[in-house]
Amino acid sequence: MENVWLTSALWLGLALLASIISIRLAVSVALIEIVVGAAAGNLVHLELTEWVNFLAGFGAIMITFLAGAEIDPRALRRQLAPSLGIGAVSFAAPYLGCVGFARFALAWDWPAAQIAGISLSTTSVAVVYAVMIETGFNRTEMGRIILAACFVTDLATVLALGIVFAHFDARLLVFGAATAAALAMLPRFAPWFFAKVGHRVSEPETKFIALILLGLGGLATIAGSEAVLPAYLVGMALAPAFIAEPELPHRMRIIAFTILTPFYFLKAGSLIDLDAVIASAGLITVFLAIKMATKFIGILPLTRAFAFDGREGMYTTLLMSTGLTFGTISALFGLTNRIIDQRQYAVLVSAVIASAVVPTLIAQRWFQPLPSGIEGASPGQPAPAEEH
Amino acid sequence: MFRRIVIAHDGSEGAAKALDAALELAQRHKATLQMISVEELPQIPTTIDEVVEEKAAANRHFDPLIARVQSRAKAARVRLEVHVVAGHAVPSIVEFVERQRADLLVVGFMGHSALYNRVIGSTTDRLVALAPCAVLVVK
Repeated sequence: MENVWLTSALWLGLALLASIISIRLAVSVALIEIVVGAAAGNLVHLELTEWVNFLAGFGAIMITFLAGAEIDPRALRRQLAPSLGIGAVSFAAPYLGCVGFARFALAWDWPAAQIAGISLSTTSVAVVYAVMIETGFNRTEMGRIILAACFVTDLATVLALGIVFAHFDARLLVFGAATAAALAMLPRFAPWFFAKVGHRVSEPETKFIALILLGLGGLATIAGSEAVLPAYLVGMALAPAFIAEPELPHRMRIIAFTILTPFYFLKAGSLIDLDAVIASAGLITVFLAIKMATKFIGILPLTRAFAFDGREGMYTTLLMSTGLTFGTISALFGLTNRIIDQRQYAVLVSAVIASAVVPTLIAQRWFQPLPSGIEGASPGQPAPAEEH
Repeated sequence: MFRRIVIAHDGSEGAAKALDAALELAQRHKATLQMISVEELPQIPTTIDEVVEEKAAANRHFDPLIARVQSRAKAARVRLEVHVVAGHAVPSIVEFVERQRADLLVVGFMGHSALYNRVIGSTTDRLVALAPCAVLVVK
């Protein structure tokens, strides 16, 4: 019989270990959790119980919601056309490249090839944001366009994941109608409700948002869609409210990163079969190369068009080739719904992890632009350090 | 011999020793002294909040350090200008030294993880290689 306390102690012990390693290496805790999960999953038996799956699933929903809530809607509205253009190209080029390779070169079936394309089309907004801060681009209109474009890329990824595999019948209509109603009402209702209940230890605001996310997630699942789709859209709808009240998303992040997302990333790692990774090392490299090459084809000319110098253009393009969270979410969706098998999952998640690490290392080692020394904050974010 | 000295300070013990040397050199050569500290952002962050949080932590780290350093410079009767920038240590420091046209960069052993040193390289080694002026490494 399962000993729930020992099982949870093992999972949280791994999460704590990942946190300590991430602090020591100054590397994202999510990436370390995947690696620790992979090591644990292959060395000891990491039990995927119902409650682990629930916490992991809720973690994926929360991290997607919080990613959507980081959008700066003003910047997106102000530069809608270039943001949509760059963002769409940044999604479509690797999507088509990876789908084409998986379908025609590897003879994967169409749904599995779609998962490959969606997993490897993402861009890590947080990595690009960090670069913007370092280079001072976050204060320029160009920087804001690129950051908004990254959100568009992620939105396209989430939309693709939510729509491609959905049942196109009445259930999808019900889900679509409920989501549209929530998106229409939330921007007005949520700030009113937050003001009404105030800041309490019982966190009524967080419970309210969780209620919406889980309710829409349930409808999405019935419609054969994915719960992260409404989560991202609700995050976008609530972004202006969060700009006015930045403490709320911060508290939600603490809850999510303490008790939910570790289960998600550890689970995503634990399902990676290391034997399959070793056996498919060449294939993983090819998928990574296709993702990077197609991002280059799509984005590098645009950086030239927007007057980046050569080094800055390469740096930005490399950083827009990174991805982690949505890539693993897409691959895990494929595995959970039996669209891809364990080996294909290992290949795709490994390529996603490599896409988080390799372009960043290349960018930092060979293409790092000299910093401008300009600093600033993204709208809606706390101001960073001033130059003293 | 030295007119413009730059000290790179990351708050480590090695950097504190480097500051002692830089203050003494600035006194002896009647040189100007500038200090640069670099807020390093997390590698491969997952959320924007992670970046913002790291910057806030860096601010908390550097504010008391700057107060201590200013007070030491005042006691040594050396005029010190302090600059804190976000970025990666090596390019930020090299760019600053170039911009200030410094003729001496003083550094201590700068803290980095073993993995980072192995993959990206030692900060001190790279500063010695890339700085456009003399470099004094204080142990």
